[in-house]
Amino acid sequence: MVEAKDISEELNKKIEEIQQKVYSGEIALLDLELVTLFNNLKDTLTVKNINKHSKSYKEACTLLDQKFKELKNLLGSSTIEKTFIEYLKTNPKEEEIVKLFENCWREVFYMDTLSINFLRFSKNLLCKEKKPSPEEEPIEIQETNEEFIVKIPKHKFTEKMMNYFKSIRNKLPCSFDSLFEEEVDDIKLCKSFVYILHLLQSGMLNYQKETNFLFLEEDE
Amino acid sequence: MNEMSILMHVLSRKLENNRVGATKKEILHALSFSHKNKNADIYFQDLIANVAKYIEPLGLQIKYNPIDNNWFITYEPEISNIIKANPFEDKPKLAATLFCVLICCLRNSGIGKVHQIKELRKKKSIIEDLKELESLGYITLDDNQLQVKLTPLIGYQLDLNKLFIKLALKLK
Repeated sequence: MVEAKDISEELNKKIEEIQQKVYSGEIALLDLELVTLFNNLKDTLTVKNINKHSKSYKEACTLLDQKFKELKNLLGSSTIEKTFIEYLKTNPKEEEIVKLFENCWREVFYMDTLSINFLRFSKNLLCKEKKPSPEEEPIEIQETNEEFIVKIPKHKFTEKMMNYFKSIRNKLPCSFDSLFEEEVDDIKLCKSFVYILHLLQSGMLNYQKETNFLFLEEDE
Repeated sequence: MNEMSILMHVLSRKLENNRVGATKKEILHALSFSHKNKNADIYFQDLIANVAKYIEPLGLQIKYNPIDNNWFITYEPEISNIIKANPFEDKPKLAATLFCVLICCLRNSGIGKVHQIKELRKKKSIIEDLKELESLGYITLDDNQLQVKLTPLIGYQLDLNKLFIKLALKLK
């Protein structure tokens, strides 16, 4: 930031110097290149120095404005035609005249492919009548007494598992198979098996592989 | 089709007799805007400014040809310098004659007397040069070979303002 501040002051000084030289007639604005000055202002602009730079920019614009006025006066002067003729009377070399033409040539841009016929065709496509999309009727929601296929269980799994645990607690210790001996309903059997697995995993129930017995820890 | 596509079409079209682009009246007509409308000038300036802004990133610029009052599109100077070399680079004699023609014609509303051009050029005969310039499409020479007229082509290909500013600065 310190560096940017210095540049800002440096530019201000430079502008002041130019102004003084112009006013004293030491230099002519038409001979002066201002592009570098504006580029410097642009490149060194920061949030911190924006106020100082704005003033510098204003001063630089005044210089540019003066330069335009001088150029306008020069081109608008009644002697300009005479000056051109005087220039030709000085017998400038042909090569010198060729150099005057340098950088004054321009390449014209043609775009024949964008013909009016193509544009009309595009317009017709855009303006073509479009059929309205079929209207969708909102679905009426009717209440029904029929039961849904997927039934939501009335009790939570843990609750049901604990109920099962209470029901077998008095039987323990007992063999694994004996818990399912009396069960005839396959769904109930599966449910019981899942409860046992969860009870074993949570450590509430223990299993001895060698004897195929289920038991409580307190039974040991 | 919007304003931009219509403008791109009318500004980049090639017409007969070396004409390119369109006049202000033609542009307004293409957009169905009457040139007699009191807001026509503002609308036109706004249009040109906006199109110029749109095409600037493409390296294109809008220019005005003072000879036939047409607005047209050119490549920006840096690109033009790459793709369009000075056509008189190897013909300095022709460039010098063209320069004299320009000076004569522009102070006489586009028409120059051959004897005046000859006087400025300080050559015994300039007819051959004038004929070559005519074959390039820059001027038309009358049947009696007494006067020449600038065609719009030179106004498209040569930035006359820039040339005269360059010369004015050189002579200052």
